[in-house]
Amino acid sequence: MNTDPIISLSHLTKHFPVGKGQFTALRDINLTFGTGEFAGLVGPSGSGKTTLLNIIGSLDVPSEGEALVMGRSVSSLTHKESAQLRNQHIGFIFQVFNLLPVYTVYENVEFALLLQRMDAAARKKAVLDALEWVGLTDKINSKPPQLSGGESQRVAIARAIVKRPAIVLADEPTANLDAKNSHHILQTMQRINKELKTTFIFSTHDEKVMQYLERMINLADGQVVRDELVQPVKS
Amino acid sequence: MLTFKLALKNLLGAGLRTWLNVAVLSFAFVLIIFYNGMIDGWNEQARRDTIEWDVGQGQLWHTDYDPYDPFTLQEAHGMAPAEAGLMPVLIVQATIYPEGRMMPVRLKGIPARQQTLALPTEALVPAGDETRIILGKRMAKSAGLAEGDRVLLRWRDQHGTFDAREVVIAQVFDTNVPNVDAGQVWIDLAVLQEMTGMPGEATMLVADQTYAGSAPEGWAFQTQDQLLTEIDTVIQSKKVGGSITYLMLLLIALLAIFDTQVLSIFRRQREIGTYIALGMTRREVIALFTVEGGANSLLAMAVGAVYGIPLMAWLAQAGIPMPAATDNVGLAVAEKIFPVYGLGLVLGTVALVTVAATIVSYMPARKIAYLRPTDALKGKIL
Repeated sequence: MNTDPIISLSHLTKHFPVGKGQFTALRDINLTFGTGEFAGLVGPSGSGKTTLLNIIGSLDVPSEGEALVMGRSVSSLTHKESAQLRNQHIGFIFQVFNLLPVYTVYENVEFALLLQRMDAAARKKAVLDALEWVGLTDKINSKPPQLSGGESQRVAIARAIVKRPAIVLADEPTANLDAKNSHHILQTMQRINKELKTTFIFSTHDEKVMQYLERMINLADGQVVRDELVQPVKS
Repeated sequence: MLTFKLALKNLLGAGLRTWLNVAVLSFAFVLIIFYNGMIDGWNEQARRDTIEWDVGQGQLWHTDYDPYDPFTLQEAHGMAPAEAGLMPVLIVQATIYPEGRMMPVRLKGIPARQQTLALPTEALVPAGDETRIILGKRMAKSAGLAEGDRVLLRWRDQHGTFDAREVVIAQVFDTNVPNVDAGQVWIDLAVLQEMTGMPGEATMLVADQTYAGSAPEGWAFQTQDQLLTEIDTVIQSKKVGGSITYLMLLLIALLAIFDTQVLSIFRRQREIGTYIALGMTRREVIALFTVEGGANSLLAMAVGAVYGIPLMAWLAQAGIPMPAATDNVGLAVAEKIFPVYGLGLVLGTVALVTVAATIVSYMPARKIAYLRPTDALKGKIL
């Protein structure tokens, strides 16, 4: 693991308006993540894991404090700049896969590269490489409704890594998968992490995911209660 | 280009919903082009027939002549100017008595050997002692007269004295131009001048191509366009009347697109969130949804072309039969109208439908600007 910080969160707080008051989802978070980390935000529902992931992914901004991602302060980015940051440096994997239903597997994976205006030949190679990584080259013409849950999540992983991002944010990636598929997915991500040096940050409360983590950050009530390096049980 | 490709893909991926919108919109396309083509064809035919049968290349009117006031006819005549390219017509009020009925008519004297108008005036060439007249078929029908019939004609001469004689119907002609038919009786000019004691006089003169355009004192030149204003006005009002029908259809199609867009933005929030997470800006997502809605019109054009082009080409060739009742609209209506589809009409319709479809697609898509990506990813209702 390289410890060069690519994500730096300092005194990060996030409030959400609730009625006339406000709800504090994150409270004074101070964390850094380096290249090639395989880390997890662990905690029960409502502990702030997804909110933190959203801020790191520049889908949301902190109410207080600062979030630096790839050297850019998330709060100061324009819509266009944050879109560029996501497109170039951040891959997302969602709990419910979020595949585009009318596109084939190939087109779903290709989508992020189209936004980068990559030329056709390079795009094709990148897409086929990514699909090979996740073992789905035989499904390139299938559409999401024709895929199983495990296959859909593998497409989502391929879509996240196809642009070779520095960071992949995975929000409860195994929540809709059975144990066998969960392990398969996690092993795939672990392999990508090792070979491509991609930083993976998970949000999870799934024991299966925790078995693969190298760093576990426990959140409770929007605060970091423990941040420790761990020896992955599965590798 | 990318936005357009993605929009088209999403649109085609939506399946039946898209094709229903496209079907209605394509019908609007075809109907707008067809209806306007028919009106333009009618306009063209009406103008052409009216020029050939009635107005020529313009008319020189006696300054007292008012075609809408029959009482001016008694005074509205003078010595016909001897200008080249002008054909004199003398008009007087008269009455015919077919089958004992009394029918006021406009008695028009025209040179029997004229070639300025399409009227079959050769039939007026005097033969023997009988006075020959010709009538249009509508006039003949309303008077109950046929070729060869004799009828009593009464008129007033220049001093206001009534005179009468029996005339023979030399020919009943068929024309689409009501102005030369309904209530009109045509007679040889020299005969009428003799009957009224107005030798060499005329009420108006019809110009042909050789007329130089000078108007002597006491006469006023009416250009072809001035004389066709009435037709233009009627055609225009027909166009406006018809446009209400197709605008209603267009409105229904646009409503369907609007509805689909609103529904899309509700149903596809997770997709919108995904687009943003993958690196699209909100503006790009709005553009995508707007183009997606607007692209309905492009598909509608393609679908409309598939059935519209053969249908309209056939109608332009075969013509559209007009019911007899349309004879009474007050302007030339042929038995068949041949629609005319100009480039301007097609491009104008394409522009109208495309712009309208894009606007109604943009309106609901604007909501995306207020959508938080994190809420969108959760599929929260706006």
